[in-house]
Amino acid sequence: MGQFLQFAINGLMSGAIYALIAVGIVSVYKATKVVNFAHGYLIMFGAYFYFTFAVIVPQAAWAPAWLASWQPDWLVAAKADAPMFSPLGAVLDWVSNLPRIILGISGAVIANALLGRLVERTLMRPLMGQSIFAMIMVTVGLISILSGASSIIWTADAAFVPHIAPNTPVRFSIGDTMIFLFGADLVNMVIALLLFGGIVLWVRYTKSGIAIRATAEDQSTAYSMGISVPKVFSRAWVLACTTGAIAGAILATRNGVSPTLGLFGFSVLAIVLLGGLDSYVGVFIAAMSVGVLEAMTQWKLGGEWAEIVPYVAVLLVLLVRPHGLMGSKEVERI
Amino acid sequence: MTMNRRAFLGTTAAATAALGTPMILKAQPAEYIIGASLPLTGPFATAGQLVAPAFTMAQKLFNDEGGVAGTPIRFVTEDSGYIPQNSLANYQRALASHGNNLVGYMADSTGAMKLMAPELKGANARIMGSTSFASELADPATHPYQYVSGPSYQSQFDILLENIKAEGGTTVAFIYSNTEFGRDPIAHGRATAERLGLKVVLEEVTKPQGADIPTHVTKLAQSGAEYCILQGYVTGVWPQLIGGARQFGLPTKFRGTFWGMEKIIADRITEQAGPFLAGYEGVMPYRYFWDQADAPRYQTYAKYAGEMFAGTPLEKYLSTWTLQTMCGLEIAFKTLRDTAEAGHELTADNLAETLAGISDWDTGGFFGGPISMVNNAIGTGRVYAYDPESGLFNPTSDWLSV
Amino acid sequence: MINGNLKSSYGSDERIVNNGYKQAFVYGSFLCLAAFALFANDYMILIACQVGILLVAVVGINILTGYTGLISLGHGAFVAIGAYAVTILHNAMDGIVPDALTALIAIPVAVTITALIGIIVGLPSLRVKGLYLAVATLAASFIVIFIVENETFAGYTGGVVGINTPVPNLLGWELDTKREMFIFISVSAVLALLAGQNLFRTRVGRAFIAIRDRDYSAEILGISLLRYKLMSFALSAAYCGMAGALFAYFYARILPEQFELELSLELIAAVIVGGMGRTLGPLFGVILIVLVPELIKVTASVVTNGDTASTRIIAPLQEIIFGLLLIFFLLKEPLGINHIVDRLIRAANRWPFARG
Repeated sequence: MGQFLQFAINGLMSGAIYALIAVGIVSVYKATKVVNFAHGYLIMFGAYFYFTFAVIVPQAAWAPAWLASWQPDWLVAAKADAPMFSPLGAVLDWVSNLPRIILGISGAVIANALLGRLVERTLMRPLMGQSIFAMIMVTVGLISILSGASSIIWTADAAFVPHIAPNTPVRFSIGDTMIFLFGADLVNMVIALLLFGGIVLWVRYTKSGIAIRATAEDQSTAYSMGISVPKVFSRAWVLACTTGAIAGAILATRNGVSPTLGLFGFSVLAIVLLGGLDSYVGVFIAAMSVGVLEAMTQWKLGGEWAEIVPYVAVLLVLLVRPHGLMGSKEVERI
Repeated sequence: MTMNRRAFLGTTAAATAALGTPMILKAQPAEYIIGASLPLTGPFATAGQLVAPAFTMAQKLFNDEGGVAGTPIRFVTEDSGYIPQNSLANYQRALASHGNNLVGYMADSTGAMKLMAPELKGANARIMGSTSFASELADPATHPYQYVSGPSYQSQFDILLENIKAEGGTTVAFIYSNTEFGRDPIAHGRATAERLGLKVVLEEVTKPQGADIPTHVTKLAQSGAEYCILQGYVTGVWPQLIGGARQFGLPTKFRGTFWGMEKIIADRITEQAGPFLAGYEGVMPYRYFWDQADAPRYQTYAKYAGEMFAGTPLEKYLSTWTLQTMCGLEIAFKTLRDTAEAGHELTADNLAETLAGISDWDTGGFFGGPISMVNNAIGTGRVYAYDPESGLFNPTSDWLSV
Repeated sequence: MINGNLKSSYGSDERIVNNGYKQAFVYGSFLCLAAFALFANDYMILIACQVGILLVAVVGINILTGYTGLISLGHGAFVAIGAYAVTILHNAMDGIVPDALTALIAIPVAVTITALIGIIVGLPSLRVKGLYLAVATLAASFIVIFIVENETFAGYTGGVVGINTPVPNLLGWELDTKREMFIFISVSAVLALLAGQNLFRTRVGRAFIAIRDRDYSAEILGISLLRYKLMSFALSAAYCGMAGALFAYFYARILPEQFELELSLELIAAVIVGGMGRTLGPLFGVILIVLVPELIKVTASVVTNGDTASTRIIAPLQEIIFGLLLIFFLLKEPLGINHIVDRLIRAANRWPFARG
């Protein structure tokens, strides 16, 4: 029972991150009808940008010393008292990393937003009105470009990136099993859920959110009603890339910065189709359940089996419900 | 003395016989080529980029020492991205474009060595060293042309497990990457652990990079292992696993094999995330580069590195990975030179025979003493522990033979 | 200048190679291939074999994507199934069946197995289309690779460490050099192309085209979507299985990672770049996809003179150019190289009159 709870919580924590990644795919699909196969690689860029602004820049010779490690007197004094690897020590470490974490997050969000705009303007806008096939394949081509570009720009792969939140261990026992959780992971989960909820509310209640929904309903009608569809397109891409940057930063702290982060995109794509491409609620349920299922598989069968969980799940669900759990059915005219 | 045609031919024939027939049967090439694939991109790019300069240095050093019986040697390195298929393609390309001038090859991974092994037959065979310590390769019956420049991973696991047993450990966990390199010694390690009476409480497979650290650390925590052996990682994952375990306050002691024993990585971790590698130990087949007193060959390297890499980090310190490749090249070079000096043609079969016959060879400091090739591998190593204060790996055992 | 082709009987109209120019082209190509097998150096043979193996697979993708209009991002898995099936069959028949016959049994059986698995993977194509199908096939390919890598089946597949492959022996002719393999591969590739061309003179091929153009309309015309979509999947999988068999025979060892996403993307990219739904499209596409990275590599090694620091950027550069080529063709030349070639031939044909 205790073990079960341990892995259920682990699963919910990774499920929340899946949901945060998925929100980018769904938003772009809603606004532009493009399913972005390269979303995972945009997230990888987010992770690398976080690494650049939180590790490379603060360590540069020209950067002020407080950026790399902020050491006010009271902090040094407190640190000297705290034992190593203690909860308090972890919080104090986090405080001294705070300047570079803030720089890292804001740098990653801004840089990724610019990247998103660039991709949208150069590749996606010429595709307005093209076939689904062409749109899918352009994003597939984008995968190669992004992954090649990242390995030219960044080479370091051993680097530690600072955790976004203090990584205090959380330990408690249920029955006779000890439950181990990382503080940072819990905070990451809360961040991911808040962002997800915020975006859903934004799309539902704000003016620009309604513009996105109107465009999703019918592009040409929305255009003729005075909604600037190109603006909606770029807004959706920027939204996807900024949430992607934060997801990337979280993944960088959990899994390390590496080109394999791009592969997350594929399992999340499976999750998105599982939930239904245009339904935030469906995708949320799918993300959480796949997260938990993965953790259970990890527990019972081991790491390799966990990797195919989303793919098996999506194949099974698509056979029964071709448009995912809560996706709306496409109506075709002959 | 007048010389007619017949007399000339006669003299030449006699001279030829005196000098040794092979010399003119086959035209001496202008240079010998040794090809190499390196992971300059991909998951192990850091290692590949540290190893690449070794080839420049070795080329200069070997040619300054007279090349292979007077013929200069040249290294042709290419990127593989740590993809075995690319290494194979590089090898086939080198074979097709250099023909018989290609006398040896350095491959970059266990996967590449295994992929290439069956290709090495007849005219396509070349002697082949690599960055791998794969156990399967240490068998001249099945892999006559391939050699391992140190103890196999299985031997490294044996050393570690015996060490754990000697310290009084009872439970051990294996965490390894889902690669050929990670999986190589696991089955053997399980058997050795059982023989020694150690209980393997967890066998956890992870991705070679981008692994889900919190999940793996919780599994380790739940297993309650006293010792944990990490295998199949180079720059990433293993430090994060140790970091995660330390943050949980787990008392688990971590052990590593050759690829997890690099000072540069350990120092970088200490600098970025604190001194949590204290107490980390592992097997290392070679001397570290700073231990130059009894290692004349290292002193030579230091001289060359100081001149050739002035201003780069390699000027003062050669990584263990660079040393491994240097060791592989030294073995290849010795094999080539011995074969050529014995007057044999540099065919793969002749070279393989010389290679298998290397015995009591003083490497000039790589290992504790003179070594012999047994089963195309060198069964010696030593356990070192990392000290975050000084940033050095200090020996905790004597040189062990397996 | 050609004004038209005179056909005096249905028979002549229905031939696979239905005019003199095409015949000249086909027989000319045979001669070129024969000359190539005799005179090319080892390096060229190596590249040509890679082209030939990929070509067989891409002809299969062309049937599925180019003619039937179904997208698959997972056909690399079928190549894997073909390659592993042949190897496993060889190992199973070792000592039971004479060596001279093993390959002749193993190849058809492996191709059949791949086709059957193709039908299973094709099942979602009945319910989902376009994007959903792309993801479903992608998911299926991840699962196939997972099964190949899994330790449970490692006794048969070799697992992550791969497995040594057999040397084919066709009725006593042992294909143990790359040059002999080239002959076998090129014969297979030519047959694959001709069979592909032939398919679209038949009822089945025309049904495929009707489905591509509008599947519901095709159904109204009386074409069973169930039957023909699955048939298309089976055929394309069979071609990939054949390519897998050639792959296993050509390389001395196979590893699961050789058949991952990258291969699937290469296959589909070759079809797009070459020209979808055209017989020679796959040929142009594969030649471009194989040769461009080689050219980058050769050029780079001349420019940098083998400097290790700069070889680091070659692989990423190849990757970027692969992506750029794919996007360029999608945006600017959606009909592929075949269309460019058509235009050139037409211009040459009408010269000195109007071009275009």
